[in-house]
Amino acid sequence: MHIPDGFIAPVVYLPAYAVASGAWVYAARRLRTILDERTLPFLAVMTATAFVLMMVAIPLPGGTTVHAAGIGLLAVLFGVWTTFLSVSLVLVLQALLLGAGGITALPVNALAMGLAGAAAARLAFAGLRGWDERAALFAAGALSVLVPALLIAVALGIQPLVAHAPDGTPRFFPFGLSVTLPAVLIPHLVVAVGEGVLTASAYRYLAALGGPRAA
Amino acid sequence: MRPESRAGLERAALVLYLAAVVALTSVHDSQVLAAALGLVLILAGRQALALMRRVLVSVGPFCALVSASYAVMMAPAGRFSADYLILVNLRVAALTALTLLVVQRIKLARALGFSRGLLFVVTLATSQALTLRRVVEDYRLALKSRTLVRLGLRDRYRHSAASAARLLSKALHQSGEIALAMRARGFFDDDAPR
Repeated sequence: MHIPDGFIAPVVYLPAYAVASGAWVYAARRLRTILDERTLPFLAVMTATAFVLMMVAIPLPGGTTVHAAGIGLLAVLFGVWTTFLSVSLVLVLQALLLGAGGITALPVNALAMGLAGAAAARLAFAGLRGWDERAALFAAGALSVLVPALLIAVALGIQPLVAHAPDGTPRFFPFGLSVTLPAVLIPHLVVAVGEGVLTASAYRYLAALGGPRAA
Repeated sequence: MRPESRAGLERAALVLYLAAVVALTSVHDSQVLAAALGLVLILAGRQALALMRRVLVSVGPFCALVSASYAVMMAPAGRFSADYLILVNLRVAALTALTLLVVQRIKLARALGFSRGLLFVVTLATSQALTLRRVVEDYRLALKSRTLVRLGLRDRYRHSAASAARLLSKALHQSGEIALAMRARGFFDDDAPR
């Protein structure tokens, strides 16, 4: 889902860095206050887990697979801010070690996937848990994919509006919202269903193993 | 060179890299971007070809998709600009090559050494990712070795969910173990002001 370097204009990524930096500082302080000396190993291991969760295959009808994001599951289990920090660190490692994603796209990806995706998952889970836990977990997994996809489609789609030459030629991502919204959201509808099923199933397996329950 | 001096140099290189990234996204001249890419390749020396190969592998598919879609959608409307395609692809290539070169040359852990906590998290996360990746791979191979025919969708979901759950369970166990190991080795100073 995430965007490589060179497609986001400074007029978007520099303010996004300002917002993300504030959120990173807040999340780090919050993590420090709610946890004790286990904070550092916990955050490091959760970061590694988020990194590896993205390698778990989600089967799709027809025999193909896509990679999980694991954001819904992490958000339900450990809360929004821990998920945000872990996913942000994963994006840094992916950008710097693998050249995937990018350093300019990092704040947009982190805010969309790590913060908005986790918050949407958590809200859906809290709202639906009293009615049906399995549906709540499915919705958490699905929204953790759909909300970031929507935000990333918007971030890409506004590029021709915010950064173009005097003759209207784009300078960064070339397509507007009329293209990016359907192009990003429609494939992610299928992925969202898969992520929803995976989140609900993995949570139940974890509970059966005696693992942690929702924070 | 003393380790402190080297860490200082690497930190300065990291700051220079970030400034170069902002500069490369603020320039809209293909010749300047081509020169920047050339400079990165010269700095890479004998590893220039390998670096370009990595650039192509990591961003080539995305760039090819965007470029082909742009050509198909804009050409019939008479709004196609070859200059745009050259500009954006050069920018992506220059930025990605620069990032990969910096990561090759700078020891990230040393450059982040200004924060003991951040350094610790990055080092531990990287090492743990390797261990946890092995867990997922073991699960995948275990399934492969025990099945003769392709599994149905339901079973493949159950396998993926079990892998994810085992991964989380192991991660939590590791987190507790590491905290205890660090305490035993004096990483946490109980008397230090928080």
